[in-house]
Amino acid sequence: MRSVESGRLAVSPWLGIGLLVGLVIILAGCGVDTPQNTFAAEGDVAEKQKDLFNLTLWPAIAIFILVEGLLVYALVRFRHRPGNEGLPKQVHGNTKLEITWTILPAILMLALAVPTIAGIIDLGRPPAKDALQVTVTGFQWNWIIEYEEYTDADGNPLRVIGTCSTNCAELHVPVGREVAVYLESSDVLHSFWIPRLAGKLDAVPGRTNVTWFNAVNPGTYQGQCAEFCGLGHAEMRISVVAQSQEEFEAWVQEQLGGDLTTNAGDGEEGLAEANTARSKE
Amino acid sequence: MASEAAGRRPITVSETLRQLRTQGGDYGGVWSWIVTVDHKRIGILYGVTAFVFFLFGGLEAMVLRLQLSNPDGIGVNADQFNRLFTMHGTTMIFLVVMPLSAAFFNLLIPLMIGARDVAFPRLNAFSYWVFLAGGIFMNVSFFTGGNIFAGELGAPDAGWFGYAPLSLRGDTGIDYWALGLLILGVSSMAGGFNFAVTILNMRAPGMALLRMPLFVWMTLATAFLIIFAMPIITVALFQLLFDRLFDANFFNVAAGGNPLLWQHMFWLFGHPEVYILILPAMGIVSEVLPAFSRKPLFGYPFVVFSGIAIAFMSWSVWAHHMYTTGLGTVANSAFGMSTLLIAVPTGVKIFNWLGTLWGGSIRFKTPLYFSIGFISMFVIGGLTGIMHSIVPADYQQQDTYFVVAHFHQVLFGGAIFGLFAGIYYWFPKFTGRLLHEGWGKAHFWLMFIGFNITFQPMMILGLLGMPRRISSYPDGFGWNLWNMVATLGAFTIALSILLFIINVIISLRSKERVGPDPWDGRTLEWSLPSPVPPYNFAQIPTVKARDDFWHQKYVEDQAGRPVPVVADGAQGAPANEHDGSEEDHEVHIHMPSPSIFPLIAALGLPIIAAGLIYDYALVAVGAAVLMVGIYAWALEPPTE
Repeated sequence: MRSVESGRLAVSPWLGIGLLVGLVIILAGCGVDTPQNTFAAEGDVAEKQKDLFNLTLWPAIAIFILVEGLLVYALVRFRHRPGNEGLPKQVHGNTKLEITWTILPAILMLALAVPTIAGIIDLGRPPAKDALQVTVTGFQWNWIIEYEEYTDADGNPLRVIGTCSTNCAELHVPVGREVAVYLESSDVLHSFWIPRLAGKLDAVPGRTNVTWFNAVNPGTYQGQCAEFCGLGHAEMRISVVAQSQEEFEAWVQEQLGGDLTTNAGDGEEGLAEANTARSKE
Repeated sequence: MASEAAGRRPITVSETLRQLRTQGGDYGGVWSWIVTVDHKRIGILYGVTAFVFFLFGGLEAMVLRLQLSNPDGIGVNADQFNRLFTMHGTTMIFLVVMPLSAAFFNLLIPLMIGARDVAFPRLNAFSYWVFLAGGIFMNVSFFTGGNIFAGELGAPDAGWFGYAPLSLRGDTGIDYWALGLLILGVSSMAGGFNFAVTILNMRAPGMALLRMPLFVWMTLATAFLIIFAMPIITVALFQLLFDRLFDANFFNVAAGGNPLLWQHMFWLFGHPEVYILILPAMGIVSEVLPAFSRKPLFGYPFVVFSGIAIAFMSWSVWAHHMYTTGLGTVANSAFGMSTLLIAVPTGVKIFNWLGTLWGGSIRFKTPLYFSIGFISMFVIGGLTGIMHSIVPADYQQQDTYFVVAHFHQVLFGGAIFGLFAGIYYWFPKFTGRLLHEGWGKAHFWLMFIGFNITFQPMMILGLLGMPRRISSYPDGFGWNLWNMVATLGAFTIALSILLFIINVIISLRSKERVGPDPWDGRTLEWSLPSPVPPYNFAQIPTVKARDDFWHQKYVEDQAGRPVPVVADGAQGAPANEHDGSEEDHEVHIHMPSPSIFPLIAALGLPIIAAGLIYDYALVAVGAAVLMVGIYAWALEPPTE
């Protein structure tokens, strides 16, 4: 009877492993659509983040199986057996073991720190000089997107205002070109997140956070605000439309009413001016 | 109170016991609970109150899960959803896990260290009443939104983390939240100081620090975390309230304030808070595992010091809640590393628990089941925590259901399982009755399975890009199935809690009584009758070893094998089994006098808080009540 009970404890790791297997199957992309699947990376940033996740997933699964395995083994092996009423040997500890299971995890953690810090520095670099410069401003509850590179007849940057009651924001970008995002907020905290292209960065009122990403294949990539921002938080969606340079320029033309002016080259100055203009508003 | 014995003949133990027995009639009824300063009764009050709040928080969770069970929801709107998840988080952390831990501190610490009560019994009563007042005050906010029966909820709506500037904008619910947390902070601080002083000063002779039971050590670490962490959130909440009530500009960007200041303050409190929630449960598991393995805790000093290391390191990891706020590469690297390193002492604990089971003679009783549940689920919480410290990967996981899964793995799979282990383990000590094993195991399995089918799917949801705190989600994102599974799991958990309640009721009605030591325990509380008499120890014990009570029952032979002590053997009989009648030492049992004034003083705080929201005149009233309470409490003569 007791062995049956302890046998049932074995459900614990198998349930976990079963779910992880289920997860892997789901993430392999079988069946349902998963437009915000962090594993279906379509940009260099998301790719790197996915690789780092996988790098820790396997040691984590190994440690999980080790610990749960030892636990279940101990429960079965050292269960009280009827008729054996004597007390077990009173072991108080073992210093060598203690040192081992302090040092080994510490080494593993330091080993994980190396790719972590490399990844932080890698993704934390400033955007490339020739990146498409975009200012994205979060508000309750959508995004304003401004392209300093493209201005209308009056010299104002191309500006797309998303409102989720009509059309949520669409950020059009050329495929393969790096996009520099200058992230701002006009009210509360928001977070800019396109899972298949890049992890999130918060839009913090009063400061400009800078990040970059690219899309390696054409397509529409779903994203949504990831920092709780009040009533409309769930609807605060955005999508990135990655298209060829020609299609992108045609879209810009359309937005500007056929009057395309390119400011490429003085993007940073243009941005600085745009920022100054906005802070005076 | 100390001088009253000066001119009198010290009364003997037997006289005192006789006197206490004749007073037995007074030790009953509702009034005796209201004025009680007995740590055991305060512990029971804490436990029962926290359990009621647990049902509230659980009910909120059920509504949230129903709403998210499918893309169309059940008609909960975003406003209601935001208020409910804010209250769910706030309730579970401040009104459930913290006070349930406090219940165990109260019930056990004096018994485990061989004391008659805590250092400040009335302050202890004050802690409880302030907690109750704060909890009620917080929940009253539900009624401030209009007609609650028409679904017009009040209650805070900025999340349990209350991020500015969103928390500057909400309605009075947020004032209730901030003031409620301040009130609860007073309770926690009073408790923190009380238990730190009790543990450091009230130990029985011979109870050296490194002889203290592990639970006492974890309580000490928790008490110091509380003492240092609560002032930080107190300051932050004052800043928030000044911004809201008096147009200050701590977080107002337009006037030069900084919203990230709130996040730094909140998490500098908030991360030690996580360990305030988990260390007591770790202490409980460290008591339960040796009792049911019938072996001492493996590597006692390492478990103690890893607990202390965790407490220290918990101060160095707060910004891992802020990786995506744009702190920069250096800060993110530093906090990534410190977060990785805190896994080391946590791992040491887990391996030592395995070492405790290893080579034991394990008896499969319900407290052990819950402790095993704790270890097996907490491991997942720890491992997902390591995954979060891989900063670039966390840019994806931050604010997704992966994080929701992670911290429920720690706080439910860890803390709640650990606390239930403690409830099943010590229930007989305070009621004289065992909880029913069959119902207990049914409770465990249902909760364990329900837990896994609730929270493991959330990991998948997070990786599939589902953010937290959304009241609805579109169809076609691959989230439908896992959300439905999670909802079914949540109801399985709810059913398991129902089994627990049934178990408590049938066990309390059972006529079967249990002796002082049903589990062959190792620590001093098992040397006392069940339930424990008001004075705890007829005579303060002299402690000669770690696991002192065990050493009174068994000695180890040359090979380290335990041999039961023969009743009249050379090793000497257990020293604590006096009923007092043959003892005529000139010892006076000093019992603290009951008092109503801690309750009166506690009542002042919610009145002050309500005054800050509605009418400053009430602040004066509340302050007067508080002052009257404190002065009367100080000047009241002892009733002895």
